[in-house]
Amino acid sequence: MKENKEDREPKIVGFLCNWCSYAGADLAGTSRIEYPPNIRIIRVPCSGRVNPLFVLKCLMDGADGVLISGCHIGDCHYSEGNFYARRRFAILKRLLEYLGIDSRRFQMSWVSASEGDKWSKLIKELVQEIKQAGPNKSNDKKHD
Amino acid sequence: MIDELKIKARELLKNKQVDLIIGYQRASDGVLAMPCFVDREEDVDKLIWDVYCVYNLANYLKDYAGQKIGIIAKPCDVRSIVVLLQENQLRRENVYIIGVECSGVIDEKRLRLGAKDIQESATFGVKCKSCKSSTPSICDYLFKDKEKKGKISEDKDEYESVRKLEVRSSLERLKFWEEEFSRCIRCYACRQVCPMCYCPKCVADQAMPAWFSKGANLKGNLSWNLIRAIHLGGRCIDCGECERVCPVGIPLRELNKKIEKDIKELFKYEAGANVEQKPLLASFDKDDPGDWIK
Ligand code: SF4
Ligand code: SF4
Repeated sequence: MKENKEDREPKIVGFLCNWCSYAGADLAGTSRIEYPPNIRIIRVPCSGRVNPLFVLKCLMDGADGVLISGCHIGDCHYSEGNFYARRRFAILKRLLEYLGIDSRRFQMSWVSASEGDKWSKLIKELVQEIKQAGPNKSNDKKHD
Repeated sequence: MIDELKIKARELLKNKQVDLIIGYQRASDGVLAMPCFVDREEDVDKLIWDVYCVYNLANYLKDYAGQKIGIIAKPCDVRSIVVLLQENQLRRENVYIIGVECSGVIDEKRLRLGAKDIQESATFGVKCKSCKSSTPSICDYLFKDKEKKGKISEDKDEYESVRKLEVRSSLERLKFWEEEFSRCIRCYACRQVCPMCYCPKCVADQAMPAWFSKGANLKGNLSWNLIRAIHLGGRCIDCGECERVCPVGIPLRELNKKIEKDIKELFKYEAGANVEQKPLLASFDKDDPGDWIK
């Protein structure tokens, strides 16, 4: 079955820190706040745990977008993990853009455990943005 | 002139201040230079220093961990020694830096392409034209080049070509890089030559997990080149060796310089500038820019 690429629902991979964003997304769920089902969540101990390789692998294997979400600055469970993440991924974001990979595909956010509504709003916006960016064509690239 | 350098080298070996001196010697073609490892006083006469001494010898330091090594280093090479020190890959007391004043080294490819006079600025490495330092930032002994003609550096924006690419459309950039990367044959020469690439097991060689394809296909090549650049973020000191050795002429400095420019703008950080400073990605500032995060 061949799906129509243009109106295909985007797939987004989310790396969420255990302590804030994962709990925030969970709160959105238990409070029955609706948000689009396009995001596939991977729970990580801290946003500082995320390696640029994770992002690269998602984008190269066909994810339309990648989100890294952690605790607000100052609230990191490990005090400073998100500070490191902020530095690391600022560089990656700019480099991706430089290589011509739509920068909307890679985003970061801070969502606390009590921000179920922020989470839902964030995902709605993200899905919109990534729909505008169009499907990720990395999987169409020649393999040989 | 060069005698001064030889006298120093002989003295270091004689006094057992170092076990080995890493420097340059004339290659068998009689023109170019090649690395040379001197551990006996009688071999000291092999040593040379001139515009053909292109290689960044700091790459060899990690092979001699624990030994006392004397190394002949240009200002750019010293920057890479600084990074190795910052990252605890070297102990300061184990390396004796014989710094040399430098006004630029040749670019062999350019030379081959027909520049007639080696003093012609066209023959010098592009990296040298934007290099601002002619004296190493740290050294234990400074070899002054009395015939030095001053910096060949052209006083222009070192990020000019990066900026030119930045203002092109996203699609044009992707096309540009895909064309470049499509030629990559995954020889990993760029990695082998880099003094900062010292991981015992490179992610490119890992099988569990295999982060990206090992084949020389576009996706694998794009991944490799992106990851190579990212792993050198805040660590690359622009010795230009990777670009020099790439057999298919991929403009790797265009990637390195992009990150270098970004980290200057974002974090006011310059790689290899200060031994006391913590490495860029092993530190942070509470006020790092975060306006791009939602
Ligand atoms: S990435 Fe290239 S220019 Fe930078 S330190 Fe390594 S070899 Fe030198
Ligand atoms: S040296 Fe050039 S061809 Fe070889 S792996 Fe590096 S980028 Fe690819």
